[in-house]
Amino acid sequence: MAQVPVQTIHRDPQLFYWILFPITAVMILTGVLRHYATVLMASAAKKLDQKTMREQRSLLHGINVRGNSHALSKRSFTARRDALITAYESGAYLKDPERRGQAPPNPMSDPSSMEGMMGMMKNQMAMIIPNTLIMSWINAFFSGYVIMKLPFPLTIKFKSMLQAGVATKDMDPRWMSSISWYFLCIFGLQPVFNFLLGSDNAASQMAQQMGGMAPNAGQMFGPGVDPDKQFLAEAENLAVIEHYSVLDGVEQRLLEGIKV
Amino acid sequence: MAPSLLHPPSQLSPAAALQLSQQAPAVLQNSPSTVSKSPFSALFSASETPELWIKYENLLLSCLRTGDELAAKQCLERLVARFGDGNERIMAFKGLVKEADAQHNGELETVLKEYEQILRDNDTNIPITKRRIALLRSMGRVPDAVSALVQLLDFSPTDAEAWSELADLYLSQGMYPQAIYAMEEVLILAPNAWSVHARLGEILLMAATAPGAAGASYQKYMAEALKRFSRSIELCDDYLRGYYGLKLVTTKLLKESAKLAKQAEEDGLVLPDTNTIERLNELATAKLSEIIRHSTAQDRGWRGYDQGEVAVARELLSEDSSAASRIER
Amino acid sequence: MTSPPVQLQAITPSLPTRRDKAVAPFRIMTWISKTITLLGAVLLGHACYSAQEHSALQSFKAATTTLTSTSAVASLPIDIAIETVVATLVILLGLVLGTRPLRPIQWNVWAGKIEREGEEGFLDSEGEMNRDFVGNPFSFLETRPGFVDIRKQRKEFAGWIKNSGPQ
Repeated sequence: MAQVPVQTIHRDPQLFYWILFPITAVMILTGVLRHYATVLMASAAKKLDQKTMREQRSLLHGINVRGNSHALSKRSFTARRDALITAYESGAYLKDPERRGQAPPNPMSDPSSMEGMMGMMKNQMAMIIPNTLIMSWINAFFSGYVIMKLPFPLTIKFKSMLQAGVATKDMDPRWMSSISWYFLCIFGLQPVFNFLLGSDNAASQMAQQMGGMAPNAGQMFGPGVDPDKQFLAEAENLAVIEHYSVLDGVEQRLLEGIKV
Repeated sequence: MAPSLLHPPSQLSPAAALQLSQQAPAVLQNSPSTVSKSPFSALFSASETPELWIKYENLLLSCLRTGDELAAKQCLERLVARFGDGNERIMAFKGLVKEADAQHNGELETVLKEYEQILRDNDTNIPITKRRIALLRSMGRVPDAVSALVQLLDFSPTDAEAWSELADLYLSQGMYPQAIYAMEEVLILAPNAWSVHARLGEILLMAATAPGAAGASYQKYMAEALKRFSRSIELCDDYLRGYYGLKLVTTKLLKESAKLAKQAEEDGLVLPDTNTIERLNELATAKLSEIIRHSTAQDRGWRGYDQGEVAVARELLSEDSSAASRIER
Repeated sequence: MTSPPVQLQAITPSLPTRRDKAVAPFRIMTWISKTITLLGAVLLGHACYSAQEHSALQSFKAATTTLTSTSAVASLPIDIAIETVVATLVILLGLVLGTRPLRPIQWNVWAGKIEREGEEGFLDSEGEMNRDFVGNPFSFLETRPGFVDIRKQRKEFAGWIKNSGPQ
């Protein structure tokens, strides 16, 4: 079988110094910058006031009682269940009991929930803005350059990915354009950042660890959820539970299970 | 084997604590005092690990215990330098150091006032709340400690450690039903904790043998204690503490089998029949002697038991066998 | 009242030879596994060398006698192929024999192992303690580090120093 003649393109060696290297360096530096920007912008985890904490944890307590009811004897479970149902239905654990029955506040007008959304928005912005800027910079200056040849063969499908911005039909997919190098950098630089900044951004993680158990039940107690409805639903769940206890017949299980 | 610095030192023996705190100069010298956040120095030095800070915390506790204030202060300084003054855990450690330094009750009152000041600014600071409760208890003001703890548990009922402390406080006051209730709350949060099941069994047994308990409540407590110990063994093979408790309960029940009345089956917690109790007793005896035999011989795979516990179990068994031989004679 | 006889003679400390006997099987196992792995490696090396020699010989033949058919030349003799497969299997066997016993996956067995063996059961092959081994993970519920009474601990420690002290 005849070999396809190897395509050779004579490139200016300066391409390496003036395109490949700058793009890489810029990408790495923006990555580092973005990391520090997010660290700076990250607002400290919002402190819950005592009443909110009470509301959330009381609900969690009910869920725990429901889930682990088998650890209790029937009598203690019934006592707990009755107490919890009464408290839930009377709204004893609510943050502000007099607001019961009203529609939940609009999440847009609630300042505490706005803050959470702003935080998310900030993170998104920190991702999007630099990327758009760099992309347009590359497009403006380096579009259409073929800058390097990959050291391994590729199928034709890779052409659209690797030769973005280079409209040449017959060129071997191994040739890479500058814009593709940019995309490769976006997806492939994570290990480099891990190496530079510590894996998984050690700083933020450690602070969380020292903070103890962070109440990260965000989605359960998100804005716009009416806690009263949650309590009522939980009371219903507790009421219908069919209780069994691990203590029932445990000595029989023990005698059967353990052979001396 | 030397105790690891990565585990909290509170349950260690004095000798082990001393050994740990004697490591302090070496650890303080070899570990970095601060970890630079700059990415360039991170290239050249070892990266920060959570273990380093856990080590400092545990070293701090051990040094405080053995009275090595200098090393303890150094640990604290490094922790403060890393996490800042405002970190709740660090605040609790600072309070701990002050408590340890306090010479007389007046100074303790000052520390207590400081805690209360912190809590006025931020009433959800759980580590400080716990320190305040511990200090109240240490100063002998148990009712205050109990009410503070109940208040903490009112807004944070998912804190297993606090429930366990509450159970212990009630137990120290002889309020068994309350202690049992609190211990059951711990079980709700950690249903598979075999040690908690055994602990609840012990509390139930204490409640049953307390002077106030009689008749129906005695039987109820004994039945539940029996079941709790059984459950702890079911969760953990060869659990010395569980078998010890089972042996105690069954022996006691067998001695009194004549006067035990038949219970109405209403809440599922009835005593098993005498035959079952006897078999449980035999099982516990056999298992205990097996554990004692292996542990005394230092067999491979049986060296994890606490020697003190094994000795107590041996005493129980020999007492039991001498009683049995007396009866046979 | 029929209480089972307690074997008091079994409770008394036995001779230390028991312990050595208990350790011995594991040592023998690692020795056997290492030998088997080494044997497999030698076999594999031999197979590779044979294949290399064979191909060298074939290419030499092809260079000298251009007339011979090429189809017979290409295939490897069956004995070399068999040797390679057998060597791989032997190495696998050796490695499998040398692994440490698997960690328990049942709750009660795992918990029992923690109680019975303590730290010893969780050493890795270098004798270092496993980093994420914490002993009984629920022990904090009884020691309660958040509520530690440091003054009592200090008093107890001082008393211990005074009475017994480090030897």
